[in-house]
Amino acid sequence: MKKDIIAFWGYPHPDLIKKTKQKYPGANWVDLDINFGYPSSKSTPDAYCGIIKNIFDNAFYLKDKIIKILAAVGKDKCDSGFFAAQLLKNAGFDVEISYFEDVSPLENLCDVPVCKSSLALKDKLSIITANIVAQRDYSHLKPSRARFGFWGVPPNDLSICDIFPPETHVFGWSRCVEAKNPANLELEMYVEKDLPTVFFAQTFCAKNVLAKYLAQKYNGLYIEIDGTPSSSAYAKIEAFLRLR
Amino acid sequence: MIVNENSKYYIDAGTTWSKILEIMPCGKRKYNIYKTKEAREFKINYEKTTGHTSDKSAENYENEVVALARGAKIYLQNDFCALDLGSRDAKWVKFKNGKFSDMDWNTSCAAATGATIEMLLKFYDVKIEDLKFTKEKYPVTCGIFGLEKIMDDISCGLCPSVAISKFIHGIAYNAYNFAKNPDKICISGGFCENKCFIDSLQNYCEVLPLGRFVLVDGLTLQQR
Repeated sequence: MKKDIIAFWGYPHPDLIKKTKQKYPGANWVDLDINFGYPSSKSTPDAYCGIIKNIFDNAFYLKDKIIKILAAVGKDKCDSGFFAAQLLKNAGFDVEISYFEDVSPLENLCDVPVCKSSLALKDKLSIITANIVAQRDYSHLKPSRARFGFWGVPPNDLSICDIFPPETHVFGWSRCVEAKNPANLELEMYVEKDLPTVFFAQTFCAKNVLAKYLAQKYNGLYIEIDGTPSSSAYAKIEAFLRLR
Repeated sequence: MIVNENSKYYIDAGTTWSKILEIMPCGKRKYNIYKTKEAREFKINYEKTTGHTSDKSAENYENEVVALARGAKIYLQNDFCALDLGSRDAKWVKFKNGKFSDMDWNTSCAAATGATIEMLLKFYDVKIEDLKFTKEKYPVTCGIFGLEKIMDDISCGLCPSVAISKFIHGIAYNAYNFAKNPDKICISGGFCENKCFIDSLQNYCEVLPLGRFVLVDGLTLQQR
C-alpha cells in the first residue's frame, strides 16, 4: 500500500510543518486528534483521555499509509502526547517530535477572526484545527457580538457545539491555536469577564483543573465529557445557556 | 384519571413518579402524583412536559433545570439555592439579586437518590416513618459502596432502619456539598416528604422544603 499520509497531533511547530510540506508536497495531512470512528487499537487504559485514544486508534488504523507522524509533545500539548510519541515510535512509526512552546505577549499576537466570528461553533473549531496545516487567511471574517463563550479544546464529539448560538466566541487552547501560540498559558486563561462561558475539558485531561478554576472565577459552567456526551450533559449546557 | 377537555395539563414525568398539574378553566390548580408507569397510559395532551422520562425531542418539552429555576422563583425571593433531589439525579440552581448565578446537575451517578431509598425500604421492609436522624452517616460518594456498608452493618446486627437513616444522612451531606455548601437550601422533590433527610440536611444548613411540584409549577410560566 502506498504511503501518502503525514499524520500529526496538537500543533506541531510551523517550521516543522513547512519543512515537511516541502519534503512531501503531495501528501495528505491527517489530524490524529480527531475522532474518525476507527476501531479501537486497545492501546490505552479504558479510563483515558478520548483525544489520546483517538491518536492511537487513528495511527494504528492508518499505519500502512502513514509516512511519518509529527508529534506535539511540549507544553503546547500534554504529557500524554509525550508518552504517545514514544509508544508509537516503539510500534514502528516514524515519529518526529515537536515542541511549539514559543510564547509572545498578548499584545503581539495575531488576531483571532475565526474565534470571534459568527460562524457556527462547530465550524469555528473545525477551521481552527484545519488551519494548523492549511494556513488560510480568515481576516475577512467580521467579528460577531459575543453572547456566550466556549473555552477549551475541540471536543472529541463536536455535536455539543450545536447547542451554542453562532455568537459564541472561542477561548482557551483553541484560541491559542488560532493565535499561533498553543503554549501561551496567559492567553489560554483569558476570557471576557462578564461573558457567560462554558468551560469544557475532555475527561481525564489535565486541563480540567484550569476549566474548573476559571468556571469558578468567572461564574461560568464547568463541564467535562468523556467520549460521546450524554443527553444530560447536553441538557446541562442548554440550561446554562438559557438561564444566563 | 378523569381528563377534563377544557383544562390545561402540565407534567413532570420523573423516573419513578409523575407530578401532574391540572389548571381548570376557572384557574383552580389541582396537583396529583402517579407512578410514571401508570401516568404513561393517560391520554392527555400536555401543554408542557419535563422530567427524565419525557420525550426530550418534543416541542413542548422543557429542560429540567430551567423548569426548576422558573418554579423556584415563584416560591422564593431574589437570593436562593433550590435543589431538586429526585429518583435518579440531583440538580440545583442558584439566584443572586433575582438573576441566575450558578447551577449544577449530577448527571453521572444517580445511585444514591430517591429510587435507591425506595428500594432499600422495600428490601428491608422498613416504613419511612421509622427512619430517624442519626448523627452518624455512611459515605455515599459512591452509592454502591454505601449499599455495601448498609449490608455489612445489618449483617453485624444493626437495625435496618438505623442503617438506612445513616445512608440518608450521607445523601444529605452529599447534597449539601454538591450545592456548594450554601447557608440555606430550598428542597424540591420527593425528599421534601422524608423527615429523616430534612433533619439530616438541617445538620448542615437551613432547609426550606418546597414540595414536589416546583418543576411542574415552573412549566406554567411563560417563556421570557
